Amino acid sequence: MLRYIGFEEARLLAISSFAYGGLLFLLSSGFSLIFGLMRIPNLMHGSFFMLGAYFGVSMLEKGLTTDALKAIPKIGGAFNFLPSFTILPPNFFLIAIISGLLVAGIGALVERYLLRRLNGQELPQVLLTLGLSFVIADLCLMIWTGDPWQPATPAELRGVVQFGTLFFPLYRVAIIGIAVVIAVALWLMVDWTRLGAMIRAGVDDPQIARVCGIKVSQLFTLVFALGAGLAAFGGVVGAPYLSVYPGLDADMLPLALIVVILGGTGSLLGALVGSFLIGLLYNFGQAMVPDLSYVILFLPMLLVLVLRPQGLFGRSIP
Amino acid sequence: MANSALSLIDVDAFYGDSHVLEKVSLTCGEGCLLGLLGRNGAGKSTCMNVTVGLLPARRGKVTVFGEDVTKLAPEAISARGVALVPQGRRIFKSLTVRENLIVAARKPTNGGKAAWNLDTVFAMFPRLGERRSQMSAHLSGGEQQMLAIGRALMANPRVLLMDEPSEGLAPQIVAEVMATIRHLKASGLSIVLVEQNPKLVFDIADDIVILNSGQVAVTAPAADLRDGTADLRQHLGVF
Ligand SMILES: Nc1ncnc2c1ncn2[C@@H]1O[C@H](COP(=O)(O)OP(=O)(O)OP(=O)(O)O)[C@@H](O)[C@H]1O
Ligand SMILES: [Mg+2]
Repeated sequence: MLRYIGFEEARLLAISSFAYGGLLFLLSSGFSLIFGLMRIPNLMHGSFFMLGAYFGVSMLEKGLTTDALKAIPKIGGAFNFLPSFTILPPNFFLIAIISGLLVAGIGALVERYLLRRLNGQELPQVLLTLGLSFVIADLCLMIWTGDPWQPATPAELRGVVQFGTLFFPLYRVAIIGIAVVIAVALWLMVDWTRLGAMIRAGVDDPQIARVCGIKVSQLFTLVFALGAGLAAFGGVVGAPYLSVYPGLDADMLPLALIVVILGGTGSLLGALVGSFLIGLLYNFGQAMVPDLSYVILFLPMLLVLVLRPQGLFGRSIP
Repeated sequence: MANSALSLIDVDAFYGDSHVLEKVSLTCGEGCLLGLLGRNGAGKSTCMNVTVGLLPARRGKVTVFGEDVTKLAPEAISARGVALVPQGRRIFKSLTVRENLIVAARKPTNGGKAAWNLDTVFAMFPRLGERRSQMSAHLSGGEQQMLAIGRALMANPRVLLMDEPSEGLAPQIVAEVMATIRHLKASGLSIVLVEQNPKLVFDIADDIVILNSGQVAVTAPAADLRDGTADLRQHLGVF
């Protein structure tokens, strides 16, 4: 049942684990912020990831052209009035950012016009976000069909990098780098800027925060949009690796949940460590004990829930 | 009387079905200090909540320097120059002292020079300055009260509402807080001071309003009440 692996395989598995962990961080940091700060259990977080990935791969084909918009089944006709030109060149990171922004916009609308009405009611929030995730899954199936779609690794990130005597695939190293940079940026924003302090004040005591002139409602929309956008960005960055297919959303959501339960809600450090931990467990588990890989994935979560319910880095919620 | 900095005019307010304020009218003149008295549950904090926009007035009107703010959101009322030191202090516990202050910072409504910033607040409350990087949850009660006052001042308000700032503090700290209020009044700020203890208010207030079961029982210049406190007992409980 246990399969032994050699050094070379372990090394590649390790780098894949961290790259996978980096993707998980892009997914779960937003989930953690939304749940930790706004107490919204956002079950459509996987949908944001998938939607971003679909937006990304569509634009990556030929860049974003008006012809591509017109070719979208059913709704493409709305763009027929446009002349043919290229809106965006097919640059991988540019497109990942644009997809992130698009989905951030969708997230902002969902928060402002739907979730806002269910303020503080967790069960209705669960039902709404779960329902929306089904709607998005069906819409994606309609627009992008059921075929999986795997874009090529961006040209500038093919090849390997050398650390000492060892070689690593550049693309995976880049994912790790992006995740770490975003982790640091988020941490600086939440813990060290006035904006971050205003968000935390709004969480502490929304009424008094408003009386102090803090626009709590706008800040919460911003947090939700940021989380959605990060997930979508992660979806595009991960597409050459995970590919995009119907059901990607449902595959990713439980992983975000495990990461956040493991690391502790609302803790960015927890989300980062949890992501890398799950990345390692997932990759090594599948290689070494393929029969039990899901047990290995979920067991630590169960242990944490029993022994340290606030998570490894979570503050216990008063 | 001077121009009105803050007025409640015939305000009715409800929590759900319970009618908490009934035709309440009061006015704080520009640069004046209005003492708002009343026993537990009289509706003092409710007046504050209506003023800052946390509780809608079902009838009546709230004006700030003549402008009707009755229907405005709390953020908008804050932008009109109203700041609150809430009952129970309600500082942001997961923020540091410094963060509590900077999140509330705002330029003065009339576009003048900002009198209050981190430096001037720390100059006024040196102990806050010493603890600027501490989590505010770890402050003592008196320090938390100073932080709540400092936070309100950071908005450079024109009208300062203070809801029982002496509550739960040692007499010596209460004296410090009262000295601060005197100082603020001398600087020209219009202040509404909510208290249960009339002794604290009578000698610094210009006017007094006493609430009883959600209705205004007495409105009078403080000078008229200083001598004959005896006949106010029925409204205030026994001290
Ligand atoms: N959130 C609320 N929901 C329902 N009723 C409330 C609420 N807050 C206050 N009340 C009721 O409204 C009435 C007035 O309360 P308020 O807090 O204004 O009194 P107060 O004069 O500030 O008293 P205290 O001196 O104890 O602070 C009381 O009868 C109180 O029970
Ligand atoms: Mg009160």
